[in-house]
Amino acid sequence: MIRCEDVHKRFGKLDVLRGITFDVARGEVVVIIGPSGSGKTTLLRCINHLEAVDRGRIYVDGQPVGYREVKGKFVEKSEREVARMRASIGMVFQRFNLFPHLTALGNVVDAPIHVRKLKRAEAVKAGRAMLEKVGLGDKFDAYPAQLSGGQQQRVAIARALAMEPRVMLFDEPTSALDPELVGEVLEVMKSLAREGMTMIVVSHEMGFAREVADRMVLMDEGVIVEEGPPAQFFDNPRHERTKLFLSKIL
Amino acid sequence: MSIPFPSLDYDPRVVWDYLFSPIILEGAQRTIVVALAAQALGVFMGVVSALMRMSKNPLLNVPANFYVWFFRGTPLLIQLLFWYIGVPQLFDNPELTRQLTSFRVAIFALGVNEGAYMTEIVRAGIESVEAGQMDAAKSVGMTYAMSMRRIILPQALRVVIPPTGNEFIAMLKNSSLAYAIGLMELLTASRAIYVRNLKIMELLTVASIWYLGMTTVFNVMQAELESRMAVGVRQGPPTLFGRLTEAFGAARTRFR
Repeated sequence: MIRCEDVHKRFGKLDVLRGITFDVARGEVVVIIGPSGSGKTTLLRCINHLEAVDRGRIYVDGQPVGYREVKGKFVEKSEREVARMRASIGMVFQRFNLFPHLTALGNVVDAPIHVRKLKRAEAVKAGRAMLEKVGLGDKFDAYPAQLSGGQQQRVAIARALAMEPRVMLFDEPTSALDPELVGEVLEVMKSLAREGMTMIVVSHEMGFAREVADRMVLMDEGVIVEEGPPAQFFDNPRHERTKLFLSKIL
Repeated sequence: MSIPFPSLDYDPRVVWDYLFSPIILEGAQRTIVVALAAQALGVFMGVVSALMRMSKNPLLNVPANFYVWFFRGTPLLIQLLFWYIGVPQLFDNPELTRQLTSFRVAIFALGVNEGAYMTEIVRAGIESVEAGQMDAAKSVGMTYAMSMRRIILPQALRVVIPPTGNEFIAMLKNSSLAYAIGLMELLTASRAIYVRNLKIMELLTVASIWYLGMTTVFNVMQAELESRMAVGVRQGPPTLFGRLTEAFGAARTRFR
């Protein structure tokens, strides 16, 4: 479903991704952990081409991200093609990034109407259903400023889901939340996972990871140090760095 | 016989006589129309120019930079004279000269000049919107253009409005420069009267009252607009009207 081959990315003089090779199968839930600066966020942003990779390739559903293969050569995709691809990759950000000038419902239906060209009535119907699914059925007309952090993040998840993505990327979705609000967001994510959504989650919520992840990945300094199923990863890590990192956070 | 205004040759009755005379009213109306049209043109050019300036493509950012530099760097009066007298002289085309009326040229020149200043205001507005907004817009499949139109510019508006309001107030006053190209606006109208009756101070008072009136009304409208736009955000700056109503309400409660 998602394949990264030897991905490199640098910002100025800083090599943030130094050869990431990594696969995610359909329906798999992968949780990525690692110290800050390890490149986790950058990797997510490369997958949906918010950043362009310097070397290596990323494939989503067999399609190379950002490039089209023409007779064996890679040609850069037009902006519109990239935008179209992004429409089927959902992303949830640490700081929610809700559109403050739109209501909760407005946030959720804006893209389906203007990007997927759905009729307003249809989009609103689907949007309401989506908001109800994340537990915000009574908040259609609330503006983001009127919502708590947990509610805002759930709207953000609904907004991403409204585009019917094939994969969802989560960049530390609960890191900016007050502790008592974390649970409600994790519940939504867990039910998504149970429904079979392909998910890549960067998070420090170990309880969530243990419960829901199919695979754990540790990144450090731009490379993947270790990956494996949670049971093995947490209880029997193979690498020193993994053991070190886990000892600091568990 | 003039009213005893101690040893000043100033007759307030003249002010009152001319304050609402047809020529003055027409001039005031033309001033407002020109200022509105020029400001609208300026905002439009400012948005286009700001986006061009922010582009990495030199074909876009070089002309935009030149435009801002040139039109901010030369006096507005010279620009008015350039478009009205200079351009027709250059092209030497009688039809063109006829089409370039002082009304049209005033709007164009004031608008183009305003656009250069609006560029920076718009750019600051766009940059004030968090980077995460563009990320989120792109991540739901919007192109740069759609993200700008639907997400970024509407938010930039909140930051753009206060300085634009200031610009419009300046525009109302700058429109008086168009007297140099013969536009029959408020100042020209006042002048037309005082060159005949020699009541210069009185007529300038008339013009000033009108300018003050227009700018004050506009200030009130802008404060109202700003407070409406602050939906769910911080309370806007206190307005005179707001303070009066608040004080009135507080006084009523105390003396109930």
